[in-house]
Amino acid sequence: MTVAVQLPIATPALPRGFWRWGRPLGMTLLVLILGFLSLYPMAMLLYGSLHSTPPGVAGEFNLNGYIGLLTTENARIFLDTIVLSFVKTILAVALAILLAWIVARTDTPGRGVLEVLITLPFFIPPILTATAWAMLGNAQVGTINLAWRWLTGSDGTLVNVYSWWGVVWHMMQYSTPFMFLFIVDAFRAMDPALEESSRMSGASRWQTFWRITFGLMLPVTTSAFILSFIRGIESFESPVFFGTPAGITVITTQIYDSITQRAQPDYQSATALSFAALALMFLLLLAQSRLLGGRSFATVTGKGYSPNVTRLGWMRWVTFGICVLFFLLTVALPVGQLLLSSFFRFFGFYEAEMFTFEHYKSVWENRAFWRAFGNTMLLGVLGATATMTLGGIVAYVTTRTKWRGRRLIDALAWLPWMMPGMVLGIGFLWGFATLPHGIPIYGTLLALLLAYVALGTPVAVRVTSAAYQQIATDIEECSRVHGANWWQTLGRILVALAWPAFAVGWVLIFFGIMRELSASILLYAPGTEVLSVVMLKMWVGGKPEEVSVIGLVMLVLVVMFRWVQLKVIKKRISTL
Amino acid sequence: MLRRSVLAGIAASAVSSRAMAQADEWKRVEEAGRKEGKLVIYTASIGSPFLKATCDSFEKKYGITIERFEARASEVRERVRVEQAAGRFLGDIHHNGSTTTWLMQRDGNFQPRGDIPNVKNIVAPHAADDIKIPCEVISYCLMVNRTMVKPADEPKSWKDILDPKWTGKILSDDYRALGGGAVFFVVMQNTFGRDFHEKLAAQKPVFSRDIANSERRVARGEYPLYLPFSLQNLNNLKGLPIKPIVPAEGRPFVRFDLAVLKNAQRPNAARLFMNHYLEPDTQLLYANAGYAPVIGGVVEKTLPEIRELLKTPALGTTLPDKQDEMLALAKEIYK
Repeated sequence: MTVAVQLPIATPALPRGFWRWGRPLGMTLLVLILGFLSLYPMAMLLYGSLHSTPPGVAGEFNLNGYIGLLTTENARIFLDTIVLSFVKTILAVALAILLAWIVARTDTPGRGVLEVLITLPFFIPPILTATAWAMLGNAQVGTINLAWRWLTGSDGTLVNVYSWWGVVWHMMQYSTPFMFLFIVDAFRAMDPALEESSRMSGASRWQTFWRITFGLMLPVTTSAFILSFIRGIESFESPVFFGTPAGITVITTQIYDSITQRAQPDYQSATALSFAALALMFLLLLAQSRLLGGRSFATVTGKGYSPNVTRLGWMRWVTFGICVLFFLLTVALPVGQLLLSSFFRFFGFYEAEMFTFEHYKSVWENRAFWRAFGNTMLLGVLGATATMTLGGIVAYVTTRTKWRGRRLIDALAWLPWMMPGMVLGIGFLWGFATLPHGIPIYGTLLALLLAYVALGTPVAVRVTSAAYQQIATDIEECSRVHGANWWQTLGRILVALAWPAFAVGWVLIFFGIMRELSASILLYAPGTEVLSVVMLKMWVGGKPEEVSVIGLVMLVLVVMFRWVQLKVIKKRISTL
Repeated sequence: MLRRSVLAGIAASAVSSRAMAQADEWKRVEEAGRKEGKLVIYTASIGSPFLKATCDSFEKKYGITIERFEARASEVRERVRVEQAAGRFLGDIHHNGSTTTWLMQRDGNFQPRGDIPNVKNIVAPHAADDIKIPCEVISYCLMVNRTMVKPADEPKSWKDILDPKWTGKILSDDYRALGGGAVFFVVMQNTFGRDFHEKLAAQKPVFSRDIANSERRVARGEYPLYLPFSLQNLNNLKGLPIKPIVPAEGRPFVRFDLAVLKNAQRPNAARLFMNHYLEPDTQLLYANAGYAPVIGGVVEKTLPEIRELLKTPALGTTLPDKQDEMLALAKEIYK
C-alpha cells in the first residue's frame, strides 16, 4: 500500500535579490556559525586525540590514542555500550509510540492531563531519580522488595536496580518521554483520512497502525530513535550510578576514568575513544538517511482535515491503564519518594522527629541558588530561542531546498550530538580559552550560551526537520499562487504549521539547558554559575535533600510550561 | 659579663628589629591586599560549608571579596592549565588535593608565595615549601551501621574487615579511581602489602563512586560497613544510625594545599588568605568538622567526640609519582 503521495520538493520562491546575494551570503553565514559552534571545539578535540599532550603543552603528534583503543577490553566496552543502548532504545521507542498513539490518536479518557504527566520524568535531574530508585529498588532494603517480601512471605528479591536491567530501566525513564515528545505532535498532525482509507480498504486495525500510522511516522520515529540511541551511548549517570556497582563499564565511564580518575588526565585516550564512538554514530546516521532517502512523508497537505481520534470503546480504559501505569512507575514512585524525602532531614528516614521544612527554607535563603536560577532562566530563554531559530533555519535549508552545501550544514549541526558531553565540554573550554582576548566570550555568560546553542542545535534541527517533512509543498505553492510573498508564506504557512514542533523543541532545549552540567562546570566563572553547577555543589556537599527541593521546583516549572504549551497548541490546531 | 650582656642585647635588638621589619612587611602586604579588593579562588573543595565560612570570615576581617570557582580536582587543573596557556590569568589562589597540587607545581602553574607569618606554626608531618602551604587534612576511617553491627563485632583493626563475616557486606569507594578509595588502597598496600588486598578482593566489596549516597545507603541498612569514610562527612550525617571507627593502626589521610597561581593579579590578597587559613580559629573550624589541623595546639581544643578520633595516629597518604602505578595495581587485583 502506498502510504503517501510522492511530492516533488520544489525550490521555494524567494525575493529576486535574495537569489543573487542573499542565498550565498546566508549559507556562508550559516556555515560560519555552525562551524564555530561545532567544528571549532571538535577540531580542538581532534588535535587532542592526535597529540600526546593537550593544546598548549609541548608534545608530539602520534596515533597512540587510537592504537590504544585496539584492545579486547575496549572492544567489549564498545559492544556492551551498543547492546545496552540498543535494548533501551528499542524498548523506549516501542513504549513512546504506544503512548503517543494513545494520547494523540485515541479517545482515551484524560489524555490532556496524561500528556503532561507522561513527559515529566524527562525533566527531572537523573541524579535525583537515581537516588529515588536506589531507595525503591535496592536488593537489600528497597521499598519494593520489602513490600514484595511482606506480601508474599518470600525472602527473595523482586527487583535490583544495581544491575544491567537497572541501568536499562533508568535510561528508559528519560528516553521514553523524550521520544514521546518528539512523536506525539507528529501523530496529532496526521490526517486521519489516510487511516480511514486503510480501514475502508479492508485493513485491520493493527495493519492500519503498522502500515499507515507507523509508516508515516517513520521520519520522526527514526530521528527520535537515533537521537535516543546516541544519547544512550553517551549516557553517564545511569551506568555510573547503577552499572559500576554491578561491574558494568561503558564508553562514558571509561572516558570519565581517563579524564578525571587518573593522576595524569589522559585526554588523548578520552578524545580518541570519543571520535571512535562518533564514527559509530555517523554510520547510524547514514543508515537513517538510506532508510528515508527519496521518500515523502507529507501528511499535512492543502486538503483540509479534522484531527479526529480513533474510538476504542471499552479498550480505552485499557489504554488509560497503560498510561497511568507508566506514570505511576516513572513519576509517582520516584517523585513521591523525592517529595516525601524533601520534608525529612534525611532521605529514607521517615520518623516524626525528622520532619522538617529546613530544606525548603535553606534553598529559599540560598543566595547562590537564586543567582544561578536567574542565570539559568536567562540562558534557558535566550538559548532555547536562539537554538530553535538556528535549528529552524538549518532544517528549512536541508529539507525544503536543494541549495548547494545543505548537507554540510546538516552534518555540522549534528556533530555536537555525537560527542559525549564531558568531552565536548573540554572542547569548548579549549576552544573559547584560546580565542583572542579581544573576543569577550571566555569566562562570561556568552560562553555558556554558545555551548548550549551548540548542544541544542541537533535537537532543534531534528524536531523541525521532522515537522517540515510532514508539510506538503503544495500548501506553500498555493499560498504563493494566491499572492502571498515568500516571507508571508514562510510565516503563515510553514512556521504556522510547524509551530507545535517549535514549541516542543523549545521546551526540550530549555530544560536541556537547565540540566546541562558537563560543559557548564568547565565554562562557568564566579558570578555566572548555573543551576546544574549549584546542584552539583549541594550534592557533593552532602545535601541531596536540598537538591531534591530544587528538582521539585523544576518539576513545577515543567508542569506550568507544558500546560501553557498544550493549551496554546490545541488552540492553534483548532484554528488551522 | 658586660660583653655577654652587650652581645645579648645586640642579638635581641637584631631579632626584634627583624620581627619589626617582618611586621612592617606584612602590614604592607595587608594594605596592598585591601587595595586589590578581590580574590579569586580555584578550588576542588566543592560545596564545602567550611571553606565558605573561612571565606566569609576573611571577607569580614579584611574587606576583600572572594569569588570561588569550584570544580572537581582534574577540572580545576585543566582549567588552570588552559587559561595559563592562553595567557589568561584569572585565578589568584589554588586550593586542591596535595597530589594535584604536586603535579601542577611540577608543571609550573604556581608562583612563589612569599613570606607568610603563620607558616611557622605548621607541625610535622606537614610542611610548607616556597610555593605551597598545607591547609587541611582529610582523614579516612571505617563507618558502620549501628543497628546492624553490635559494638562487639565492630572492626578494631583494618585487618578485621578481612573476616569472612564481612563477605559481600562491604560498600566501598572505588580503589581503581582517584579519590578516597585510591588513598585507602595505597596506604593499605604500603602498610600490609598485596596480601591484604587479595584477601579484601575475596570479600567481594561492592564499589560505588557516589560517596554521599553510599554513606546514606549504609545508614539505611543496605550494607553494614562502608570504607573509606571521610571523617568530615560526619557533619552531614548527624542523627543517622552510623558510627565512624578509626582502626588501631590509624587513619589514611590526604592533604589539601594552597598555592598562588602563576601571574596572579592579586598576589597580596592571596597571601593574606593563606595566612588566614593557618589562623588557629580557621584551623579549629576545620578540626571541629573532622579535618585534621596542620598547626599545633588545635586538636586539644576540638569537640570531645572529634578529639578522640583526631588523636589517633595518621597512617599514611598517597605518593603522587606512584599514583598511576597504584591505580593499575588496584585494577589488577579488583577486577
